[in-house]
Amino acid sequence: MVNLTIDGRAIQAKKGQTILEVARDNGIYIPYLCYHKALKPIASCRICVVEVKPGPPRPQPACSTYVTEGMEVVTTSERLDVIRRELVKLVLINHALDCPICDKGGECELQNLTHALGIDRVDYEAQVLTPHIDYESSLIERHPDRCVTCGRCIRICRDRVGAMAIHFMNRGYYTELGSGVLPLDCEFCGSCIEICPVGALINKVFKYQARAWELEKTETVCPFCGGGCTYQVQTRDGRILRVANQDSILLCGRGRFGFPVVHSEDRLTTPLIKENGSFRPASWGEALDLVAQRFQEIMAEAGPGAIYGVGSPRATNESNYLFQKFFREVLKTNNLDNPGRYHFVRGMAGLMAVFGVSQVDGLAAPAARVPAYHSPYEVTEGATGSGLMFVLGKLADLPQADVALVVGADVTTELPPLGWALMKARENENFQLIVANPRATKFDRYAALSLQYKPGAERLLMGGLFKAIFAAQPDIAPVINAAGLEEFKESFKKFSLKEYATKAGVDEGQLKTAAELLLKAQAPAIIFGTELLGQDKGQENATALADLFLLVGKPGNPGSGVYMAAEKANTLGLLVVGVLPDRLPGFIPIDKDPGLNLEQMLEALETGHDNAPQALYALGGDLVRWLPNRSRTEKLLKKLKFIVVQDAFLTDTAKLADVILPVAIHVEQEGTFFSSDSKLGLLRKALPENGVRPDWQIIMELANRLGGAFKYVKPAQIFQELAAQLPVCAGLAPGHCFPAPGLTAKLSGQFVPFEQDISLPGRRPYTLIVGKSLQHSGSYTTHQPCGTLMVTPGARLKMNPEDAVALNLGAGETAKIISSHGEITASVSLDADLPPGVVLLPDHFGEPAANRLTLNSNLVRVTIQKM
Amino acid sequence: MIIPLLKGLATTLKHCFSKPITLQYPEVKRPVYPRFRGHPELVINDDGSRRCVACTLCKVVCPSKAIKVIEPAEGEHHEKYPVQFIIDLTRCIFCGFCQEACPKGAIKLNNLYELAQYDKSILVYDINKLTQETSQIRMPDWL
Repeated sequence: MVNLTIDGRAIQAKKGQTILEVARDNGIYIPYLCYHKALKPIASCRICVVEVKPGPPRPQPACSTYVTEGMEVVTTSERLDVIRRELVKLVLINHALDCPICDKGGECELQNLTHALGIDRVDYEAQVLTPHIDYESSLIERHPDRCVTCGRCIRICRDRVGAMAIHFMNRGYYTELGSGVLPLDCEFCGSCIEICPVGALINKVFKYQARAWELEKTETVCPFCGGGCTYQVQTRDGRILRVANQDSILLCGRGRFGFPVVHSEDRLTTPLIKENGSFRPASWGEALDLVAQRFQEIMAEAGPGAIYGVGSPRATNESNYLFQKFFREVLKTNNLDNPGRYHFVRGMAGLMAVFGVSQVDGLAAPAARVPAYHSPYEVTEGATGSGLMFVLGKLADLPQADVALVVGADVTTELPPLGWALMKARENENFQLIVANPRATKFDRYAALSLQYKPGAERLLMGGLFKAIFAAQPDIAPVINAAGLEEFKESFKKFSLKEYATKAGVDEGQLKTAAELLLKAQAPAIIFGTELLGQDKGQENATALADLFLLVGKPGNPGSGVYMAAEKANTLGLLVVGVLPDRLPGFIPIDKDPGLNLEQMLEALETGHDNAPQALYALGGDLVRWLPNRSRTEKLLKKLKFIVVQDAFLTDTAKLADVILPVAIHVEQEGTFFSSDSKLGLLRKALPENGVRPDWQIIMELANRLGGAFKYVKPAQIFQELAAQLPVCAGLAPGHCFPAPGLTAKLSGQFVPFEQDISLPGRRPYTLIVGKSLQHSGSYTTHQPCGTLMVTPGARLKMNPEDAVALNLGAGETAKIISSHGEITASVSLDADLPPGVVLLPDHFGEPAANRLTLNSNLVRVTIQKM
Repeated sequence: MIIPLLKGLATTLKHCFSKPITLQYPEVKRPVYPRFRGHPELVINDDGSRRCVACTLCKVVCPSKAIKVIEPAEGEHHEKYPVQFIIDLTRCIFCGFCQEACPKGAIKLNNLYELAQYDKSILVYDINKLTQETSQIRMPDWL
């Protein structure tokens, strides 16, 4: 601790804090303009100057002067006032007097500063500049005449987001912001808008909609990826007008501009019943009665197992918990699963095989009364935990990692907050990044080593990496107890390192370098996501990476962990609350009569086995759109006698349904999400429901019609019941992750050999990767008037320009893509990030439907023709 | 003795021939002083456009919450203008804060003062009623 005085007040501060931070923490106001708590200080505006003793005889910037023992700081004096006033006057010389129409008016830092310093006139004159106001972009508007050249937007874009969209152009009095002389490298995240102290950057979605003081603000969780960002929804008259993250400022494009989907015309507003092939609106009572009656008929005929449930990663923990309770207690079947089966569940299964299932022992009995959305279990001394939850990395810790290995993931696209955490980690000068991906991704530019392997060759790459590690350090021993290392080593006898490298399409030396980096690391992080897990052998991929973490990982060192990116908000929550055929809430295995998982269910339908379900109750989960091999899914779902879909939009699966029940979406309900790093996010209701209902209410009504006795009044009650079944979540509270920090880890592992083959059969010339788009989250953001549609209105087939030349295709032209399972057409865009022979198609849009081409993986060999 | 009486009669007689003070209201209306604070009015420019830029400062300052709705829109040249502006005259206390707060001189109190109606809803003025065809403001550039 450091002792100092500010304006005569004795204050204790932490070492390494700046004067400005200490003053702010102690409620002492120091004006500033270029400083922002989310950024590193650059001390360019000099408005935060203070007198410092001992120190030089001139005022020092408070934002970049660190506190020292015995320092005496004076924040207000006549001299300082004069300096600050002059500096602000210089900023104001050419400032547009736009306040009445500027969206920043009322929350403008320059307005506040001018007011605080009592500046009523500017007695300087200078050459009047013609502002180059840029109205071109559909999301962000630039007003150079309002700019104060604080550089905050440049710094957040460059240092936090990791893009390089904004640069200072010209110098001195003529400085203004532009894209530099480079091609625009913008992610359309809008973080620059939020951090701008004035209205130089304007959010076009919000422009002129309301004044800052008219908005009601509600803290809730962003639903557009598994990152679990908390953000503030700002509403007026039952409409969201904008969203903001006031702590770190950072939000991705979908987060910041995706909210208008809530008000989409496409939203379902009343229950629909299919009659003679078309839907008719119905009342809630009628629709629920029909569902209950049909379920009863089917169950009477074929037993409770005839109804199959699919949970939703968009629905809250409470709704999903109630969903599985409805199946297990009311319908008395374990026949339910979640769409994560095709990616995230595979990853968890891989981790579980190596590190074991999450468990906590030695807890006291649950407390009877706890605050809402808190775990009733207290982490007491002697409580121990084990299993994969201790290796699941936390985004907040990632910046402390010293080596990060990204495999098969385009980080920012899959999970933007993971990208920000990596950018933060880069501030540590010892940090090294290894990026392994068949194509070039954003983080290649920051990588110490880029491994560009052949699509589908992940496990051969991993084999080579293991081989290189064992060669570099033959006596390597994992830091935790691990069984089966010798047998595991044996599994790499088949090929030499050179053979592995050749088969994976990388350089032998690169594998050796990667092995060295991983062996040296004190806190290695391993990152992968849906793109890797979406392959048919996704579980094998996850096992390989879990083995790697077991071998070189340092669980317990902050930052060291396995980071799995989930595309949808509550993908992990589904697993925690037990929307699985073989596990109850809290990962408790079911030994007796586990249900069919999604893959088995579809197989049973295909073979016509007698355990095949006859009815489907889908809570969201758009199977037709998201499962590989679309035509098979469609065909199989048509075999079902009765389908109920509970969704906010008329999805492709909902079109096959007999009854559709419209649901409330995130801002219209209360509840919780588990982010992919296990953070509990609390949703708060910001908008009225307008005729739709939250999932939990629908499930409850349905359950009560079928003989259940669910009597919940609010989601907090459901959470209370759920949390009592989750000892693994001991000590959990909103905003916190599990396992709780006080828990003693008793971690052990088991090396599990994995299949070392390439999972990409077929002979067609091109490899199609079904990927994701940065601007979209599932099909959720593809409904008008979503703001991100202005940037990415549709899916385009990305291909290397050389390939395009060979195929005689130009950008924007239509190509026919043919695989052995189907064909689609898509317009082409050229992207040098893709190596020749590899093409990429995002799967968010109904057309072109990439999953018409795939069989059981997100990789497929295709032929491409010009149309 | 008689002189004061005659003086009084003379005064009375003088008034018999002067113009009466009583006005034939409502046929004749009493003119008000130039700074009189009457109904709020949205000022129009010479080209017929409204001066208002929908900054809502008048709505913020209005002590009786008489200004109900200001709905902004973006024009062709990126200008901001109101498409709806509702003032409830039954709530207005004619304090003139709105004209004082307005940075554009776009809302002013004119010299109209009549408020008697059979139906209160008539006194909820929308943007069209707030804009007079011929301005009723005596001193357009005062304040």
